[in-house]
Amino acid sequence: MPAFDRWPRLIGRHAVLLLTAAVMLLPLVWALGSSFKPSTTIFDMSPVPLPASLENYRTVFSAFPLWRMLLNTFVTAAGVTALQVLVAVPAAYALTQLTFRGQRFALGLVAVALLVPVQSLIIPAFLMISHLGWRDTYPGLIVPQLSGCALAVVLLRNHLRALPPNLFHAAALDGATAGETLRFVVLPLLRPALSAVVLLVFINTWNEYLWPTLAAPSPKHTTIQAGLALFLNQEGPEYGPLLAASILATVPVVAVYLVASRRIADAFLHAGPG
Amino acid sequence: MTDQMTAVPTDLGSGAGVADPDPDADGLLLDGVVKTYGGARPALDVPRLHVPAGSFTVLVGPSGCGKSTALRVSSGLETPTRGRVLLGGVDVTSTPAAGRGVAMVFQDFALYPHMTVEQNVGFGLRLEARHRPRRGLRGGAGPLNKAEIRRRVTGACELLGLGGLLERRPAQLSGGERQRVGLARAIVRRPRVLLLDEPLSALDAQLRQQARAELVRLHRELGNTVVMVTHDQLEALAMGTHLIVMNGGRVAQAGPPTDVYHRPADPFVATFVGSPPMNIAPMATTDAGRTFDAPGRRVRLDHPVPGLGASGSSTVLLGWRPGDGVIGGPAEADRPSAPGLAVEATADVVEFAGDAVVVHLTGDGMRAAVTVPARGSWPAVGDRVTVTVPAERLHLFDPADGRRLPAVGA
Repeated sequence: MPAFDRWPRLIGRHAVLLLTAAVMLLPLVWALGSSFKPSTTIFDMSPVPLPASLENYRTVFSAFPLWRMLLNTFVTAAGVTALQVLVAVPAAYALTQLTFRGQRFALGLVAVALLVPVQSLIIPAFLMISHLGWRDTYPGLIVPQLSGCALAVVLLRNHLRALPPNLFHAAALDGATAGETLRFVVLPLLRPALSAVVLLVFINTWNEYLWPTLAAPSPKHTTIQAGLALFLNQEGPEYGPLLAASILATVPVVAVYLVASRRIADAFLHAGPG
Repeated sequence: MTDQMTAVPTDLGSGAGVADPDPDADGLLLDGVVKTYGGARPALDVPRLHVPAGSFTVLVGPSGCGKSTALRVSSGLETPTRGRVLLGGVDVTSTPAAGRGVAMVFQDFALYPHMTVEQNVGFGLRLEARHRPRRGLRGGAGPLNKAEIRRRVTGACELLGLGGLLERRPAQLSGGERQRVGLARAIVRRPRVLLLDEPLSALDAQLRQQARAELVRLHRELGNTVVMVTHDQLEALAMGTHLIVMNGGRVAQAGPPTDVYHRPADPFVATFVGSPPMNIAPMATTDAGRTFDAPGRRVRLDHPVPGLGASGSSTVLLGWRPGDGVIGGPAEADRPSAPGLAVEATADVVEFAGDAVVVHLTGDGMRAAVTVPARGSWPAVGDRVTVTVPAERLHLFDPADGRRLPAVGA
């Protein structure tokens, strides 16, 4: 139990935390509440939906390709995650454990890639998939999002650097090739970091809005985030169903995060500076 | 001393067995090896560093002396900037670490944390089986199949008393057990040379004593060449059959531990090896090397030190081991009975160490230590004493280049 003289500080700290949490949560609570409001009361200031109605959800399930879009989002997120891991693991390994000509330059490129805003890549990426005939296809959705793998490379690299160097020397003396060291020594030890990276990339891709709206605007291939825009149609915004669909789109991510939040925090904790 | 550069052959890439004319080149030889890490001074610069075959060689020296670099160059984890590495007379300079037939135990043991003891020890063998599944093992013990790997892993583990721990992971082992797993992993592939990088420094003092004896016994049983790196000179003296004292990237002295201890090549070796360190101080001669005088100290020899008066130099560095000094009363300085050194000084600090007592002396601008057996009597703090050292126990060094001067024998 803390001493009495520390209480004012503790109370102050918790007040700040509570306030921040409230600011963050308010839109979510509002959206959740309003998604249960019938169209007649949607503009009421009360966040509590009374009388409550499932009308919006019924609209979403009947008039909106929700399942198809969730599937698209899942395929996209899984594809991007797989691609990024496939590139980031060998890249991080090469950047830490191998020595090759241009290594520092390659590392510099990764650092620069972290700083480049995704928005600035949209136009070249869009031209690229147009040339390839990939507009409105899964490859068009997935492949250009590989450009975000710099973060995965940096996170994995920091974990790799934290491994004792003699582990790699021992593997070399045991006769392991670089590939075998990666497969039998590095990957098993990197599993916690790797699962955190997987979660992070998956959630980020799930939430991506801008690229899917451009690359795959049709309901057949677009993701749920981009699909939500269908409710903002020419007859005016349909706020009720929009909020209901938004809530449904968030459920998988929140579920994943609840299960794995500790892993994600750990990954960042161990990644440290550098 | 000639500063002759060893010629470096240009066909290092061939890797073929270059016969070395040097007869004692079996074992491990670093021939003209220089390793520079970009600093001004090379980390390692040895015209010749030889580890005799079958020996337990200890590389010893202060930190930064190049001993670990020498080990890593031998292992193949580092490539020398210049020079050749020969193993059993074969040039292995460009052979990768795994192909040299050497194994290493690391200071932090570097066990694979996600593998059991059995998997740790067997990792190298399983890789070997993967790489050449049809070839037999070195030594012709049949094909390297699962049963053979298991047999050898169990054998190595049992040799090191790990029999009951095969399914444990490193995190579930004590420090001593981890060290033995590191050893088992190193010997399971039957290396010609076993490299030990400060293998005892991660163990606590009590365990270290025990592990020392185990390592020596293991070497006796396996009969292969062992190279151990340590900064602990007592460990080096106790364990090695061959000692290589290193300083500043160079070999200061190589030889059997008794030689190194009794006939140190220069003041560095003299003070680095032995505890407490050798007392060394300059003394001047007035009569061509027969007697030497300094305040409170006097040396009388039967024969003059050869070449001393002739070269014009009149001073030497005079050294004596604390254990070679004999403490007498204050009067004895006036009438030295036998040739040798007599020192007059005051007991300053007296350390009781169980079997022996270390008496630290101060005199006219000098300090020295004497070890006396704790069974007898020893001076109290502040006592005036005279310490005598027989002539044959004195070490003389040239103050200009640190070279050991010929024996001054009685």
